[in-house]
Amino acid sequence: MKPRSRRVTVNAAATLFCVVWIFPVYWMVNTAFKPYGDILRPTPRFIPVPLSLGNFADALGKPFFGDYLRNSLIATGAAVVGGAILALLAAVALTRFRFFGRRAFLIAVLAVQMIPSPALVIPIFLSLKSANLLNTLLGLSLTYIGFVLPFTIWTLRGFLHGVPVELEEAAMVDGAGRVTVIRRILLPLVAPGIIASSVFAFITAWNDYLFAYVEMKDQSHYTLPVWLVSFSTSTGTDYGGLIAASTLFALPVILFFLVIQRRLVEGMTSGAVKD
Amino acid sequence: MTQTAPDRAPAALDEPRAAARRPRRRRLRDRATPYVLLAPATVVLGLVLGYPLVRLLVISMQDYGLRALFTGVTPWTGFSNYAQIFTGGQFGGVLLRTLLFCAALVGGTLLIGLLVALMLGAAGKRMRTAVTICLICAWAVPTTAATLVWQWLFEPGYGVINWMLTKLTVFGDLTQHDWFASSFSAFAVIWLLVVWQSVPFVALTLRAGLSQIPSSYYETAAISGAGAWTSFRIVTLQFLRPILLLVTILSVVWDFNVFNQIWILTQGGPDGGTTTLGIWSFTRAFSSESFGQGAAIAVVSVAMLLVLTAYYVRRLVRAGEQW
Repeated sequence: MKPRSRRVTVNAAATLFCVVWIFPVYWMVNTAFKPYGDILRPTPRFIPVPLSLGNFADALGKPFFGDYLRNSLIATGAAVVGGAILALLAAVALTRFRFFGRRAFLIAVLAVQMIPSPALVIPIFLSLKSANLLNTLLGLSLTYIGFVLPFTIWTLRGFLHGVPVELEEAAMVDGAGRVTVIRRILLPLVAPGIIASSVFAFITAWNDYLFAYVEMKDQSHYTLPVWLVSFSTSTGTDYGGLIAASTLFALPVILFFLVIQRRLVEGMTSGAVKD
Repeated sequence: MTQTAPDRAPAALDEPRAAARRPRRRRLRDRATPYVLLAPATVVLGLVLGYPLVRLLVISMQDYGLRALFTGVTPWTGFSNYAQIFTGGQFGGVLLRTLLFCAALVGGTLLIGLLVALMLGAAGKRMRTAVTICLICAWAVPTTAATLVWQWLFEPGYGVINWMLTKLTVFGDLTQHDWFASSFSAFAVIWLLVVWQSVPFVALTLRAGLSQIPSSYYETAAISGAGAWTSFRIVTLQFLRPILLLVTILSVVWDFNVFNQIWILTQGGPDGGTTTLGIWSFTRAFSSESFGQGAAIAVVSVAMLLVLTAYYVRRLVRAGEQW
């Protein structure tokens, strides 16, 4: 093929791909901003005029919305912060010390990532039940921390390998203790790794439906995804509110992803072993 | 990464020598330090992953139903849960469905992902940015939100996809068509959803790999008289092999475990027609209150996944010998 015609083909294919791939997101936003009466029309409108915020008001006005948001934020925050702290400590141990059980721990961390989380929903449910932790944010947060830890440990371990030990030794010669070394030297240098794994932790916890659905039985304990789904089944055809709520739920993540897009792939693959 | 590990840990190797010079108490503290640092992570991992995994195996051999839930008495039944699953007449169908659906998802995601990655490389700067933004938007939408949007797109009566297909006038009037009435079209709709969400990661990862291939390789191939297809086969695919392997394994693991999308859209219906191993395990446990059987199904699916990914796991463990 000639370069010119090749370029035309590529551009046409890329355009087609963009239209198809963005369509669901476009349709979500479009539906969310439509006036209530315009949603259920035999001929759909492709531009939301007149623009309406009624669906958002409808979604936000549902009872307990504040609670769902708070529950989601707490459990997600716990997963991100708790996961990062525990994983950083573990990664320091794994990269800066040589001790009995180190290899076994690393293999266990890798192996555990191969276990599908849906398979664990039954024993986790029953264990939390006997520990009286069902329906509590503590139980849910613990679940999330456990699920993000293996990946986070693995990622931070990779980043810590890249930090020369000489830096820490120099600081220790100057009289700095271990805590100071971690806080003043390691932490700033592995910050990119912490950000990358935090993104992953955030997505895991923020998007989780299954575990929140099984663990949180009282309506006021729902997280946003559980509420969204219950919204869809309980109200049947209120697609305006449902899609507006989905938009509210998705938009922060979309914006966040677009801002950090360069680091996304790097972060996702650094957890896996490269050849 | 694994090859460079030993020479990157000089502190650990120097540890005994440095310790010899220190007083005894300090040395003890140093020896305990890694364990202290590991303890919190180990406790949480043990509680959330280790213990449940063991418990899963135990429950799968118990009569763990509604009665056990209230009385706490869980009679040991050996392999009878497994026997019931295998002989209940459902297992073969569910297994076949799970494997075929997983294969369709992995195949579709990898093929489209690879094409998009190649397209990104060939496109101009502005087109590339546009495609990347579309990919990231699709990637970022949380599964539950995406699933509900899908339900709305394919809604009988007012769904925009039904409307557009009707406008094409090829298939007749589809406005009232219920996609979830037949298991094949339900699977097709879920397939579209999962592929839509999984392609971005695969495409962007493969694109990152493609950009690492030195252009001189292609030039050499061209000089040696290789056509586009040959140079794709011997340069691109060869170079991408490790990354392709990685995304294939990750896709197999993710797609084998697709749960939310199926559960929210069909709950395994119509008439069990979209019940995969994950859905079956879940409904046995949480709808039929037969946790023992649900656990047995989960054990079987974990075992199957291990078989499917054995090659990769073996490589990981072998690489581990150099840690």
